Amino acid sequence: MTLSLPALAAAAVLGLLGIGVAGLLVTRNLIKVVVGIQVMTKGGMLAMVLAGYLSGRVQTGAALALTVIVADTIVSVVALAFAVQVRRRFGTLDLQALSTLRR
Amino acid sequence: MPSIETLAILSIAIPWLGALVVWLVRDHRPALQHGLSVAFALAGGVAAVAMIPQRTEANVLGVALGSAFGELTFLPDGLGVFLAVVATVVGSLAVIFSVDYMRGERQLGRYYALVLFFIGAMVGLVLSSNLLLVFVFWEITAFCSYALISFYNDDPKAVAAGIKALIMTQIGGVGLLGGALLLYVYQGTYDVPTFLAHANALPAGVLAVMAFGFLVAAAAKSAQFPFQTWLPDAMEAPTPISALIHAATMVNAGVYLLARFYPAFEGVPNWRLAVIVVGAVTALLAALMAIVSNDLKRVLAHSTVSQLGYMVYAVGSGGIFASQFHLLSHSVFKALLFLAAGAVIHAVGTRDMRQMGGLGKQMPFTRVVFIIGALALAGIPVLNGFWSKELVLEAGLMHAPIWSYVLMLIGAGLTAFYTYRMVTMVFYGEAHGHAHGDAGTAMKIALAPLALGALSTWLLAGPFAKLLSAETLPYHGIEAASTFHILEEVISLPTLIALAVVALGLLAWVFRSKLAGLGRALRGLGWAAENSFGFEAINRGIVRGVSGAAEGLRITQTGLLNWNVVGIVAGLLIVIAILALGA
Repeated sequence: MTLSLPALAAAAVLGLLGIGVAGLLVTRNLIKVVVGIQVMTKGGMLAMVLAGYLSGRVQTGAALALTVIVADTIVSVVALAFAVQVRRRFGTLDLQALSTLRR
Repeated sequence: MPSIETLAILSIAIPWLGALVVWLVRDHRPALQHGLSVAFALAGGVAAVAMIPQRTEANVLGVALGSAFGELTFLPDGLGVFLAVVATVVGSLAVIFSVDYMRGERQLGRYYALVLFFIGAMVGLVLSSNLLLVFVFWEITAFCSYALISFYNDDPKAVAAGIKALIMTQIGGVGLLGGALLLYVYQGTYDVPTFLAHANALPAGVLAVMAFGFLVAAAAKSAQFPFQTWLPDAMEAPTPISALIHAATMVNAGVYLLARFYPAFEGVPNWRLAVIVVGAVTALLAALMAIVSNDLKRVLAHSTVSQLGYMVYAVGSGGIFASQFHLLSHSVFKALLFLAAGAVIHAVGTRDMRQMGGLGKQMPFTRVVFIIGALALAGIPVLNGFWSKELVLEAGLMHAPIWSYVLMLIGAGLTAFYTYRMVTMVFYGEAHGHAHGDAGTAMKIALAPLALGALSTWLLAGPFAKLLSAETLPYHGIEAASTFHILEEVISLPTLIALAVVALGLLAWVFRSKLAGLGRALRGLGWAAENSFGFEAINRGIVRGVSGAAEGLRITQTGLLNWNVVGIVAGLLIVIAILALGA
């Protein structure tokens, strides 16, 4: 049995998305939440490159992926900065303990 | 003379500009605020009156607003111009009255800005011929009424009343918006004249949904059954605002909507009957509630609801002319009654009629004008209320089920009864309170023309019929006739019956002590009327149900990321499933 490159890439996309979602579902640590989002975003990027390859517009896919890398970096930096502040102010990174938004 | 186009814009723009200017003047110069408000209101009135000779059946102004919104067009035909005149002229008198009534109050800028904004929005509502814009203006008037009812925003009762008015009229707004969107879906336009011309091209079911949606909208706006409860609560507003809402703006909008679209909807099965039922039930229930109320403004509020019931009933009976003529009479005499009541309340310092009495000697001018208004309300010849109410009853007798006519007759008798009760309790009998002086000068300036109007607007029946005739309203089938001809038609046997009922109502109050037995027999009815026939209980139940449901749904808001991700994934799976099934 031989795997074609696109099929392999598609499997990787689904795998990354699945790992990311699973991480978000089970983790209570704010840093791990950021990591989970990162993993999901990587899956999304790979999906864009794959879509560009399949539709014959490789440049478009690559350009979109690059854009996402830029945006994604900013999101991560801000999120991690928040995490640092949260840790300093509340002394914990546990989401359950932090969810004071509830009444 | 400016063109009709300019005048239509001016009659909206002048009050709105005035609202902005008065607000910008700031509250440390009250004299300037009073003066500017009166000037802008009167200028708006002049612009509206100047439209009368230039009325036209064609749309004016056509500013494209983009494909989804149609065009910004105005239709200054007889009906629209008439209501614009009522809004601006009666509105101006309320503003003049405010100069005395609101003297020394704080936050005049907010007060006058909202009043002028309200008047301009009402003009826009009745002149606009783009149904989506009608809805926009409709909602602006709803907002203004809410903000003005809650004007004393440190009084929890006033705030609650304002929110109640807003919520109830929003229910109606949904009906109007739904109708407008349906029209766009099926005819590709919001244009009202196009709709009236081609209403039958719509599928019957769609037309029926629109017709009943508009009925809900009108009922909510005009405080008709089953939405009648917001208007009496709106009495927490300053009295000139009550006059404005009851006579010049707001509640007229519902009757206007029904009258405007009557030609399109009259063929919808059971629609006319539904309108008749709404009008008749409202007229009767509100009259009963007016009898048991001891708050002067509440009595007047119930009487407004009841008289609006007459107008709605007239529309249902096909008597568009009668309904609009009664609207004219009502605007004049109800503005008069409210403003005169305002003078009384201002002088006595309470709204409770049990603490009044014997005020006639202390307030001779107010007594005279109030009684003129009261006689018009009761339908005593030859005041304007008599002629228009008889026209309504006649339309009902000819084109509505006979039982509804009987209900309306009973309502007329009750009207005479509670009007007489109100006048006696306030101005005659033993004095329970003290008034410091008669109405002020600005109050008198506002009251005098209204009193003259209540005595004389019925003489305008002929010109009024011409205003609403096929000349500019091709679909309503109103025939132009001379004043003499119209009044001659009123004088007939049914009129005598109606007059006899009115006289019975008056006599019932005179001999109320002898009727005490009857009163005891009807105690249950009186108790029901005092409790607004259970409608307040229904309202409270709905509020409890909604807040209970909200409390119950609170458990879905865990605030935990993991559960939110579960929700997102579940939503995604559902979307994918739908796509997979649909493909």
